[in-house]
Amino acid sequence: MKLTTPDWLFIIWYFILSIGIGVYYSRKAGKSISEYFLSGRSLPWWLLGTSMVATTFSSDTPLAVTGIVIKDGVAGNWFWWNFMLGGALTVFFYAHLWRRAEVMTEVEFIALRYSGRSARFLRGFKALYLGIPASCITFGWVTLAMVKIIQITFGTKGVTALAICLGLTVFYTTLSGLWGVVATDMLLFGVAMLGSIVLAVVSVEQAGGIGGLLASLKTLSAASGRDYLAVVPPLGQALPLAFFVALFVQWWAVYYPGAEPGGGGWVAQRMLAARSSKQSVLGTLWFNLAHYVIRPWPWILTALAALVIFPELQTAAPGAMEAAYPKMIGFLPQGIMGVVIASLFAAYMSTIESIVNLSGSYLLNDFYRPFVRKDASERHYVLVSRLLVVLVSLLGAGFSYVLGSVKMGWALIMELSAGIGLVLLLRWYWWRVNAWSEIAALSASAAMAVYLKIDPNSPLLAGLTRGLDGLGFKTDAWAVGIILIVLVTSFVWLATTFLTPPDDRDKLLAFYRKVKPGGFWGPIARLHGHRYRASGYAFLGWALSVVVILFFLLGVGKLIFLGWRQGLVYLICGATAAFLLSKTLNKIDWEGS
Amino acid sequence: MKKEYLPMAVGFWGVAVPLLVFGALFTRTAAERVAIFLLAGIFLLVGALIFKAKR
Repeated sequence: MKLTTPDWLFIIWYFILSIGIGVYYSRKAGKSISEYFLSGRSLPWWLLGTSMVATTFSSDTPLAVTGIVIKDGVAGNWFWWNFMLGGALTVFFYAHLWRRAEVMTEVEFIALRYSGRSARFLRGFKALYLGIPASCITFGWVTLAMVKIIQITFGTKGVTALAICLGLTVFYTTLSGLWGVVATDMLLFGVAMLGSIVLAVVSVEQAGGIGGLLASLKTLSAASGRDYLAVVPPLGQALPLAFFVALFVQWWAVYYPGAEPGGGGWVAQRMLAARSSKQSVLGTLWFNLAHYVIRPWPWILTALAALVIFPELQTAAPGAMEAAYPKMIGFLPQGIMGVVIASLFAAYMSTIESIVNLSGSYLLNDFYRPFVRKDASERHYVLVSRLLVVLVSLLGAGFSYVLGSVKMGWALIMELSAGIGLVLLLRWYWWRVNAWSEIAALSASAAMAVYLKIDPNSPLLAGLTRGLDGLGFKTDAWAVGIILIVLVTSFVWLATTFLTPPDDRDKLLAFYRKVKPGGFWGPIARLHGHRYRASGYAFLGWALSVVVILFFLLGVGKLIFLGWRQGLVYLICGATAAFLLSKTLNKIDWEGS
Repeated sequence: MKKEYLPMAVGFWGVAVPLLVFGALFTRTAAERVAIFLLAGIFLLVGALIFKAKR
């Protein structure tokens, strides 16, 4: 693909704008580490929610969705759409609690909630694990994906452009902290969406317009026996276990970056940076709406158009299916191609800046400050934070250079923490959960993942597969593996919880008074003299927000594919649910006053 | 003036202006032109909303 002068002008102008915004906020960030990592806890909902969705929208995300759609059709997206259940749960049961906890990071929660040496060990371990290997692998994975895109679009010269892009991103992120990150995220998300919509429009035109696209897809579906436009997978006589796991297990059990059960990572960081508990709730709700309703359709359209233009993709390798997305850029006219290339840079930059800022916060706040140097000045901590951000960036860049297949490492990281979701959810609502519970869950989940890697034909797995086959499921190794990991991990951490003593009463009482959670806090609530209860409206809000997301997601899809009547009905249902949701939001006392 | 959010608003307007120019100069079909102009309009609007947002 050949970029022309207008393309380059737009790309350079985009860099000037985004870096200018980042640098503008550097003065504010230098005041304290609260400013540097949490923007002084002053973010409004629209800024923090957009920053969450911008971070989750990485350069590899459109490629992954393209691969899914080409392989399994629109219905394949349930692999990640199922997380909307967990996202909505976080909005109504966790976002306000995070903000009330007033910790600096997700990892500092451990120091607020648990007591003793086990808590100190867990905090230090998680700070190092999330701050270095987990961050570097995410960094490497995202960067490698971007290198692939760049090589397809620019050739090898593009890698130099990417190195410059990375250097500039790290430069302004180091200077401007979270303020710079969220402010640039606003623009980066806008530009990233702009590029994906433009590419979808041009791709659909190349495929013969929406009418032509639909006709070609019907022919392809009839020939292959796979309905590419179906929104629900074909259930047939046996329910696919993978679909069952996606709908009923994955969203609460698996720790997936950006969709952590109960909130974590950059999502928790932004909830903690909110102006108030209610702003945290609204921001997380906006994130989920934007994440599931606004983002996917342009990618799905581009993928379907690619399938029609290159039908040989049906039998291609997974890598070739994903590469169809950047391949479509070749159909863009001059000038407009620059817009789409800039959008891919935007998606990449918004993820990278958040990863390095977040990992810097873990290493500074949860390792350096409690374990290395306790009583230094704010200026010292800000300086060390900046150095840590640079260090993590260098390590991440090194990872992406050295590792040829980060995907395997990334999959392993996912599997290592596949069963820990339940303990992360219950630690807010059950007084008996202690640091040993988390340590046991992490160890059991990791041990099971390694065991299944070493012995994929283990008798445990074979027995469970037979049992599930007997229940009428269409089993596959991945889904059975997840169920086994969740079952074993849950048994181990629950047994550990009952075999180890509860946390110090004063610690639990202080947590209960500060965070005011509902749930199972019997003895502590009696000590406190007052029992907090989760609002019944929260359950209604959870259900309504899932309904809103579903109806809008499907309604937009129906309208795009010219199903006017059905699309409008879906949108009206979604709007009605949204109205009820707004009423429900106002019924809940988010600040706990 | 809401100086806090001003750079973000300028960023959105800064993208909208070249989009309008490019939409006029480089698009090949009516659908492309409508899409680009609509998107430029959204960028102008979002910039204005950010500019007017309460601190």
